[in-house]
Amino acid sequence: MRRFESVRAVLLSLALGLAAGSASVAGPPPEPPPFHAIENVRVEVGDGTVIERATVVIENGTITAVGEDAAVPAHAWVVDGEGLTVFPGLIDALGTLPAPRRPGGPGAGEPGRSGPRRRPDPDQQLPRGPEDRPQTTPWKRAADDLALDPEAVETWRKAGFTSVAARAGQGLFPGRLSLVRFGEPGADPEHQVVAPELAQMASFDTGAGFGSYPGSLMGQIAYVRQVLLDAGHHAASVAAFEADPAGWRRPDYDRALAPLAPAAAGNERILLPGSSAAEIGRALRLREEFGLNSIVYGGQEAYRLAGELAAGGVPVLVDVDWPAPLPERDRDPDADRPLREILHERLAPSTPVELAEAGAPFAFSSGGAGSPDEFLAGLRRAVAAGLDPARALTALTRDAAAVYGLEDRLGTVAEGMAADLVLADGYPWQESARVEAVFIDGRRYAAADREDGEEAKDAEGTDSERTEDTEGTEDSDHTGDTEAAEDAEDEGGSGEAAAEAAPGAESSEEAVAPDESRPRGRGARGPGGRGGPPGASGEALPPMRLAEVAEKYEEVAGDSGVPMTGPYREDGVLAIVGGTVLTMAGETIEGGTVVVRDGRIAAVGTRVRPPRGAHVIDAAGRYVTPGIIDAHSHIAAEGGINEGSLAVTSMVRVADVVDPTDIAIYRALAGGVTTINVLHGSANPIGGQNQVLKLRWGQDADGLRFEGAPPGIKFALGENPKRSRSFGQGPRRYPATRMGVLDVIRQAFTEAAEYQAAWVGHRQAEAAGERSRPPARDLELEALVEILEGERLVHAHSYRADEILQLLRLAEEFGFRIATLQHVLEGYRVADEIAAHGAGASTFSDWWAYKVEAFEAIPHNAALMTDRGVLVSINSDDAEEMRHLNHEAAKAVRWGGLSDEQALALVTINPAKQLRIDGRVGSIEVGKDADLVVYDGHPLSSYAVVQTTLVDGRVYFDRELDRVRREHLAALEQSLLESDDDEGGEAP
Amino acid sequence: MTRRAGRVSLPVVIAGLLTLAATWVPYAAAQTVAIQGGTVHPVSGPSYAGAVVVRDGLIAAAGAGVEAPSDAEVIDATGLHVYPGLFNAFTSVGLVEIGSIAATQDDSELGDTPHLRALEAVHPASEIIPVTRANGITHVLSAPGGGPWAGQASAILLDGWTVEEMAIEPGVGVVLEWPSLETREFDFSTFSVREKKFSEAKKDYDRTIDELGDWIDAARQYEHARSAAGSGATVEHNHALAAVAKLTRGELPLVVLADRARAIRDAVAFAGQHGLRLVLASGRDAAQEAELLAEKGIPVILGAVQALPVQEDDAYDGPFTAPGDLERAGVPIAFGTFDSSSARVLPYEVATAVAFGLDPEAALRALTLGAAEILGLDDRLGSIDAGKWANLVVTDGDPLEVRTAVHHVIIRGRDVDLANRHSRSYELYGSRPAPP
Repeated sequence: MRRFESVRAVLLSLALGLAAGSASVAGPPPEPPPFHAIENVRVEVGDGTVIERATVVIENGTITAVGEDAAVPAHAWVVDGEGLTVFPGLIDALGTLPAPRRPGGPGAGEPGRSGPRRRPDPDQQLPRGPEDRPQTTPWKRAADDLALDPEAVETWRKAGFTSVAARAGQGLFPGRLSLVRFGEPGADPEHQVVAPELAQMASFDTGAGFGSYPGSLMGQIAYVRQVLLDAGHHAASVAAFEADPAGWRRPDYDRALAPLAPAAAGNERILLPGSSAAEIGRALRLREEFGLNSIVYGGQEAYRLAGELAAGGVPVLVDVDWPAPLPERDRDPDADRPLREILHERLAPSTPVELAEAGAPFAFSSGGAGSPDEFLAGLRRAVAAGLDPARALTALTRDAAAVYGLEDRLGTVAEGMAADLVLADGYPWQESARVEAVFIDGRRYAAADREDGEEAKDAEGTDSERTEDTEGTEDSDHTGDTEAAEDAEDEGGSGEAAAEAAPGAESSEEAVAPDESRPRGRGARGPGGRGGPPGASGEALPPMRLAEVAEKYEEVAGDSGVPMTGPYREDGVLAIVGGTVLTMAGETIEGGTVVVRDGRIAAVGTRVRPPRGAHVIDAAGRYVTPGIIDAHSHIAAEGGINEGSLAVTSMVRVADVVDPTDIAIYRALAGGVTTINVLHGSANPIGGQNQVLKLRWGQDADGLRFEGAPPGIKFALGENPKRSRSFGQGPRRYPATRMGVLDVIRQAFTEAAEYQAAWVGHRQAEAAGERSRPPARDLELEALVEILEGERLVHAHSYRADEILQLLRLAEEFGFRIATLQHVLEGYRVADEIAAHGAGASTFSDWWAYKVEAFEAIPHNAALMTDRGVLVSINSDDAEEMRHLNHEAAKAVRWGGLSDEQALALVTINPAKQLRIDGRVGSIEVGKDADLVVYDGHPLSSYAVVQTTLVDGRVYFDRELDRVRREHLAALEQSLLESDDDEGGEAP
Repeated sequence: MTRRAGRVSLPVVIAGLLTLAATWVPYAAAQTVAIQGGTVHPVSGPSYAGAVVVRDGLIAAAGAGVEAPSDAEVIDATGLHVYPGLFNAFTSVGLVEIGSIAATQDDSELGDTPHLRALEAVHPASEIIPVTRANGITHVLSAPGGGPWAGQASAILLDGWTVEEMAIEPGVGVVLEWPSLETREFDFSTFSVREKKFSEAKKDYDRTIDELGDWIDAARQYEHARSAAGSGATVEHNHALAAVAKLTRGELPLVVLADRARAIRDAVAFAGQHGLRLVLASGRDAAQEAELLAEKGIPVILGAVQALPVQEDDAYDGPFTAPGDLERAGVPIAFGTFDSSSARVLPYEVATAVAFGLDPEAALRALTLGAAEILGLDDRLGSIDAGKWANLVVTDGDPLEVRTAVHHVIIRGRDVDLANRHSRSYELYGSRPAPP
């Protein structure tokens, strides 16, 4: 014990930066006896309740009594808590252990996170797929690698933090989190571990990058899905074997799967990333899909989903490192910040209050905040956004513990709980607050021990600055700057505390007079800048809430009736009257009327009258067509459109990464597009699964999905799949020739057929009552089996006639049909074969010569294939081209002589048929979806401009209303950027 | 400060060729053609029903009362329309054949090369040339990129056995790629976007512009020393400075490739400061600076109209309405496609501008006479007037409409063959017998 103490003393002195060389300096004393009593103290229990005056007794690391009449044991060291409050110690609900800096600086030793990016190793193994278990270390626990930096630990402790739920590292499955205390680590840091296994974790912020597997967001999600399935299957196999091993092979030990099995079965908590609304939606879907006991972390856009999160009871670990702009000097003065970014900057800090009001469980996480100062500054911003300080405290203490099921051990000031406490004169995040002492595991750490020498002076200086700031907030009426005053009000019940909390708020004349001689940083204006790290980010705008944004928008919009987002109009019944209706069902109706009821086409014709009460769109002199359908698009997808790391990535799903906020959706609507086929890229012979979307702008990812559209998949032939990874320094990926491309596809279907047979065998055995174990589910092969069974449509990127023909024959060899050949630029050379096979062809209008395999492209391709009986569409493959697909279709009239009707079919009914959604869209017929476009001229004219676009009978684009909305949004942006000082000045 | 130009001494042969091209005596097409019965849109004046007579590569006569000479080969344009040939005023036609194959690309040299001329690399047998002219485009500006000092753009006819026959003007302007000032750049080593501090980016940018100014000063000094003949000093010949001196003498315009409003403003200031004649090219944000450009009389050769807005919050139709805005502000405009294989779609890009507010007559003018004026070629090209080169297109309707067919293309008086790689493939495979 003695030896330990002396080692600890040396470490501590080093840590504190004391003059170790000076022989006259004494080391710290041995630890005093662990018995304390805090008398005359106010107690914030951590569950929202307050005891105004009590004694808190601590013995051997545990709170043994809390109450007005609690007896003070004779052996307890008594601390006078007069004017102070005891809070539960703050818990960082997701953070990184403060590890010591590696000797030699970053990059000197083993590659650390801050080291230079590693160059690709030319000898590296090519990734084979999920079986490589990339960046997967679920057996790790943060508690097992406790390299704690005493100095950093102390910084957190002094700020009032007593423990952190520490992540085990980086990666897709980094390992289990552990709860680690911020006590002096000394020579025995394991002592600081409260719970070694809090939860498993998944993360997508691996920075794996292009080339390594998984290299895209959708690849990462697909991988997580496969591993969860594998873990479940492995556990079940082991259980089945152990129950009755006869005749079965013992399942191999698997260090990755075994520790994930409890989480996969919903028996252990697992953290899933979710910061943006889209990411949170993904986390929720994954939770539902696997029945996970999941926790969402990030949560910065959870303000949009508070209700949903509350309903699901999904805890959110809110990252307090709120978005902030670059400092002004680093910003491009000519660059406009998007409204969306400004909104998010102002709204993100409202997440906690929204979650609190919705009743969703949440705690706070340091996330990107690297220091307790940043953490506390983030908390102040959350409080400024309207979060009740008492609720903030609960989230930081009891609820943080409860997220991990530890609420019966810590997080509240109550008998029997761990003695992790903060003794302070206000909420630790308040700038006016002063932490007197922190108790961790019953050991008292006096905050005073830091306040000698320079530090004490600094602290004083800061105090007077704070006084000035507090006063400064009085005349400016910032939402953000009033937290000190609010806190004072909230604590009004305890007069002393209130006075302490805001010393200058009420009476001090001295404080009222601003000290002009002291330079006031820009940070003094907004809460985000205050206490934030100098230089890291600029000053954030004051926080606000969604409801306030709505109010502001209403102010600027007046009675225009134009909503901020989503459809311009939603009418139960509407009629488009007097236009030339190009039905694409074999009929052109001049002076026709289209009646829409409940999103469907209810009537079409010349004698049709608009129903009473219908909203009428006058289309006299105009043309009405079905919504344009783009059979090949890559918009509205997040995190990469190629999982190009492997030759076969059929497990990857575009559906997982739909980005409903992509402005390209709205711009496509303005070009008359109502349905798109979002395809995986062409980096590999068998790519990922596509997703057909309806462009219901304003809805979330689920709302965009074309419900009932058959699933599909991307294949790719030729130059793209064979040249993948030929750049850079890594090894090249098979295949490198067209032979190899075909081989990859043939091999994949051979495996798929075997997989299919294995399942059939299992089901038959089960049906016959025989003992059988199901094969492990393989998501890659499952998708291919669906192709073999005719349930999944193949969309094959292809250029040359020979490779097109080879693919058709290969599909025939395996007994399936290619749904569409995409690009198919030499399709005109094998049009008869394509028609005979029954594949559709979706081509460009006139792009050519951009690569060798496009040098034989001709603009007559669509027409020639049409003439030969192929079902042809024209697609965009491009966010701009898709805005004028009607004009692209006209090129088949110019080159190849299609009729107008045939040409317009290339972008309406034909792609609908190719995607097997022609029962719903593609023509104007009674009963079909009211996806309609009104043009001011014939849609094949180069001058035709889209006036109105409807999806499901709702007006999602209107040229006139678009102009109005743009004006509103510009005004809104202006009002969002205006300093609240000005508003405050104008207000009475 | 100046980097050494790569090829200071050009082979004598090339120099000789250059001289020849510069003093090229136009060849005469040995035929007389009369286009009659159609509606003539001369662009220089109102349209009329009449005839155009072409002799020796030039327009001999055009008007309502003009009759076909007896020796003329007559093109019956009854029900058709006759326009001046369209001018794609910025392309890499002849310089780039296949986008992904470096071996077929001759548009971008290494280093600063203001003295290079695109014409010297134009490939007369490029498959892109017949494809482009079949859509009514009779001549293009073929321009180099890279740089900042990219080289000189050449005006070429889209017909000719050799570049000598194709040349309209080997050097019509010196192309300068304005330096970029971007805080976000794509880092190919990590395949991710890298954020740069604005102050850092600005420092690099300012330095580059200072260097460009040094080029101008050096060219003036060079010119001065060279012209001080008989002083006894030897001034070594420098092709690069000699080329820049053409700008300082006002002989050639400086053609600046710039998109961002800031770059446009800075380029205008630069040209003003150094007394250079400026033509802006690409000019994505030019409409934002319309007032400045109009005031200074700086023309713009616009790039893609069918382009996406840059910022998320920008109007969806911003790139569509920009040409109309510029034209109404009084800025002389022309259009280019800024690539090679899609040079033929020029009229459709411009149609989009018309659909979104550009005056149709102004659009046609920008595609013909306006472009010729901007590049100093209106003495030869751009309108149907006697004495001008006979570059004509005969269509069955508005050439900006996709569904309009081109019936004849006359280049330098020759009724050129409209067949091309595409039409031949179409015919060949269109006649493929059904497989057994």
